[in-house]
Amino acid sequence: MLDIKDLHAAIGGNEILRGLSLAVGAGEVHAIMGPNGSGKSTLAQVIAGHEDYEVTSGSVQYEGRDLLELAPEERAREGIFLGFQYPVEIPGVNNAYLLKAAVNAKRQHEGKDEIDAFEFLKLAREKMAALGMDPKFLNRGVNEGFSGGEKKRNEILQMAMLEPKLAVLDETDSGLDIDALKAVAEGVNALRSPERAIVLVTHYQRLLDYIEPDRVHVLSEGRIVRSGDKSLALELEEKGYEWVREAANA
Amino acid sequence: MATEPENLEQLVNRRYKHGFVTDIASEGLPPGLDEDVVRAISAIKQEPEFLLEWRLRAYRLWREMAEPDWAHVHYPKIDYDAISYYSAPKSDKDRPKSLDEVDPKLLETYDKLGIPLHERAKLAGVAVDAVFDSVSVATTFKKKLADAGVIFCSFSEAVREHPELVRKYLGSVVPQRDNFFAALNSAVFSDGSFVYIPKGVRCPMELSTYFRINAANTGQFERTLIVADEGSHVSYLEGCTAPMRDENQLHAAVVELVALKDAEIKYSTVQNWYPGDEEGRGGIYNFVTKRGDCRGANSKISWTQVETGSAITWKYPSCILRGDNSVGEFYSVAVANNYQQADTGTKMIHIGRNTRSTIVSKGISAGKAQNAYRGLVRVMPQAEGARNHTQCDSLLIGKECGAHTFPYMEIRNPTAKVEHEATTSKISADQLFYCRQRGIAEEDAVNMIVNGFCKEVFNELPMEFAVEAQALLNVSLEGAVG
Amino acid sequence: MMHELPVDRLAETAAALPHASLAGLREAGRTVLARQGFPTTKVEDWKYTDLGGVAALSRAWLAAGAPVDEPDTELVRRAQAGLDAHWIVIANGSVLEAFSDALALPGIGVATDASEFPKPHGALGGLNAALVRDPVRIRVSESLTKPLALLVADSATASAVTAQVRVNLAVDRGAAVQVFEHQVSSGDEGHYSNVLVELDLAADSRCDYVRLQQRATAHSQTARLDVRLDRDARFDYFGADLGGRLARHDLAVDIAGRGASATLNGVYVAGPGQHVDNHTRTDHRVGPATSRQEYRGVLAGRARAVWNGKAIVHAGADGTDAEQANHNLLLTEQAEVDAKPELEIYADDVKCAHGTTVGHLDERALYYLRTRGIGRQRARRILTRAFAATVVDSAPIAGLRETIGDAVEARLRDIMAEIGA
Repeated sequence: MLDIKDLHAAIGGNEILRGLSLAVGAGEVHAIMGPNGSGKSTLAQVIAGHEDYEVTSGSVQYEGRDLLELAPEERAREGIFLGFQYPVEIPGVNNAYLLKAAVNAKRQHEGKDEIDAFEFLKLAREKMAALGMDPKFLNRGVNEGFSGGEKKRNEILQMAMLEPKLAVLDETDSGLDIDALKAVAEGVNALRSPERAIVLVTHYQRLLDYIEPDRVHVLSEGRIVRSGDKSLALELEEKGYEWVREAANA
Repeated sequence: MATEPENLEQLVNRRYKHGFVTDIASEGLPPGLDEDVVRAISAIKQEPEFLLEWRLRAYRLWREMAEPDWAHVHYPKIDYDAISYYSAPKSDKDRPKSLDEVDPKLLETYDKLGIPLHERAKLAGVAVDAVFDSVSVATTFKKKLADAGVIFCSFSEAVREHPELVRKYLGSVVPQRDNFFAALNSAVFSDGSFVYIPKGVRCPMELSTYFRINAANTGQFERTLIVADEGSHVSYLEGCTAPMRDENQLHAAVVELVALKDAEIKYSTVQNWYPGDEEGRGGIYNFVTKRGDCRGANSKISWTQVETGSAITWKYPSCILRGDNSVGEFYSVAVANNYQQADTGTKMIHIGRNTRSTIVSKGISAGKAQNAYRGLVRVMPQAEGARNHTQCDSLLIGKECGAHTFPYMEIRNPTAKVEHEATTSKISADQLFYCRQRGIAEEDAVNMIVNGFCKEVFNELPMEFAVEAQALLNVSLEGAVG
Repeated sequence: MMHELPVDRLAETAAALPHASLAGLREAGRTVLARQGFPTTKVEDWKYTDLGGVAALSRAWLAAGAPVDEPDTELVRRAQAGLDAHWIVIANGSVLEAFSDALALPGIGVATDASEFPKPHGALGGLNAALVRDPVRIRVSESLTKPLALLVADSATASAVTAQVRVNLAVDRGAAVQVFEHQVSSGDEGHYSNVLVELDLAADSRCDYVRLQQRATAHSQTARLDVRLDRDARFDYFGADLGGRLARHDLAVDIAGRGASATLNGVYVAGPGQHVDNHTRTDHRVGPATSRQEYRGVLAGRARAVWNGKAIVHAGADGTDAEQANHNLLLTEQAEVDAKPELEIYADDVKCAHGTTVGHLDERALYYLRTRGIGRQRARRILTRAFAATVVDSAPIAGLRETIGDAVEARLRDIMAEIGA
């Protein structure tokens, strides 16, 4: 589904990704781990199409197409979802409005009719209940005054509503207490399916106790230096990132 | 239980700590101003022809100009013909070659002010160009500066030794016709400081000038010009204090800063001129034009001022952000007590791309004083990506004072981002009571709160200056709470 | 002087106006105007707004014998459709009785006694007094059940026109009133209207006031709303300036009674060729009292907005709590904002704050919306509308919020279409 080859990307002239390659197939869950500054978030933003990041070389294929040619909204409509590490607050735009606009943008792209208002509300309420979110959140400004945990749940809610093919979750576990972590993990697990791929970007292996990955990759200095199954995450937790760096340099 | 202190009123009435008169006889021109006076000043200073012409042009422009009346200050009409436009200490003709030769009375003066020049200069590694009345009488650390190629001298000396630099930069930031007071200064300026930092040089020490106003009816017309050539860096300190006198004294200085490509100028001021007595009698009228030109890309000019003195302050240190990516800063604490009136602020003119400016203004009003912030942020159409943040806070101490904010924002580029915030607060009885309950004396509590209020600005001052400024603030506000 | 008006012409024009009993008022107006002349940009309050064009139009109109257009009744009908209110309709300075059912209510009518009016104040107050046709007086003793709609529907079809509107509204102790001031105009000729509304709120009274200015883009207006609040009175205001080539609104609130509160919110939208200027002044004469202000502006194309908010806390007004905010969004090049939030404070037990921002759309929010599949243009529209919505939703007459929201959005859409963004 996603095929990244020898990707180099820079922001403000600083090269962050230095020859990253990664292949993610449908139905798979991949975890990208790595120390701060290793390029995890950059990878997530490059997949979503942030214009501040400049891809200097390499390729990203998504379902056989060149992903890098597409604008962020086109990628979203094609089924790519980015769960932000720091979701932005948008005062004055309420959550329900955003959700509906996003759902309809995708449906229109797929040649479907707009979602019926009643059906939309019903669906949104169901998904919110599953995530333990108060339906009142629908009428609040997007992420406006939300706590860290509420913002992350809101990201998962959007993902649940948009039913992406490829979900990239950037540090979705950071700043969550255990209950919020479980709720978020359940939300992600509920979306696991043979047609869908999920990429978890995380610093700690804690999240992986709740969402079991098929593959684990360790990122260091803009490159994947090690890949393995879920046991790699445990080994990493035990030995620390220093171990990876040494292994990479060896 | 009453939390209002009763003993504090006495503190308000404390006399000006730095009030005294130095008994140095002055020689100078009789009061009055016409072309002959301008010619006389130029002749005394043996100036080249171009400078005389420059002065005369300024004088003619000034004659046609009206004194500005838009500031939030009130004062009796100034009689410009009652002012003497030149005075000099007796020892002028035989200028001292070193500090040892300086008139001991002058050194004593500094001692009374708590500024032991000798010691201070040595300990702090500061070169001091002291202006006593209108002529520079002492300059130190010349050699060290000369080794670095830095020119730091009196303006008169610069005219003699470096006429080409003076000619090139004088009036290039503040033209003669800029405003009424700048035109007057351009016609009759007596002396001041000149600094030139050559390309790529980081000035090895902080440069400093202490200004004094002394002789009766003598206007002070300082002229300062600082040029930082490409890639250079300089920090300049200006401080002043004045003896107690009955007559109002006019001060109309002009400071011009030029920062070329990649250069940085930091200009710090502690101003403590005589503010007038408790009834508002006497005190200095301070009408200053200070402006910096960030002429080259990536240049930076930073103004920091602590203004506690003068009966009237009219002063807007400004930055013209011409070079791309240039940065302008203005950090100000202005204190007005008794009958003081302050109208001060800054202008940030964004012309280059990605220019940034920061304004932090802290105004403290006490007694019957009026304190106004007046500022302009202008973003020109070509100033893509310009940024400004302004924070403007007022602290009121007492029921009869005033705090005013007049910010102008003129924004003509859609990529600009300009933010202005202002707040007004007072030292509350609750805060004071809380501190007292914790065993802190009322006066100390006031100082603590005021210093906390000003912290952002003090942080910008060079260390030893910051300490002096804090002490000065405490003296200025003694007994203001009551 | 460029901005003067010929006094003899003013006198001739006044002599032909209805209600000869107002001659004294009109003469007093001429005197003030002759003494002060139209303000020029040298006057601080008019620094950014040049009335030269308006003065020239007025001179030409006077020279042409002060012609007045037939009222555009179609415009009136359209504005009245769908709103349940008591109406007073003024067209080119004349009250249209056929459309003004409110005249049947007690205490409302055209005032014809010159002694009822205070002395004209300022040059524009002078102009208003000098040429006013049908000054309206409203006294609300009992709370009204429906909003009072003041519709100013001007037209300039046959020739250029100037018109004066004056409304004096007093709300008695304990009474409440909702006012909807709606400004519309039609016609391709030049039009200049000068509106003066005075509002006196007695103790414990309350006024919700919504102003919607949608004049034709060829037309100019200077307008002033003077409000005086007595003890515990409450004034909640929302204004939307959407139309006009030049639109200046002065809102002056005088807090003269303890416990009074005022909310002054507004939105302005300006596109190519538009100049919109909002001046507010809040005088806190006594305390405790509260004032809140938030204006938001959106500009695109060669548009210029001026915002000047002044809060004055007079000596002795302890317990004053005043906040003002002004936020501006510049959508495209060539737009200009001149903002000046002022505080003048002469008392120490006060809480005052102001904040002003000028900027563009938040790039991060735009990106966020795009990652959710929303296209760039749409995302911009959503964020622009959201920017204005936060104040529009504060309009004190809830039944008008949708009307205003729609009007703001329609104006924004037109502007964006006009500049092809």
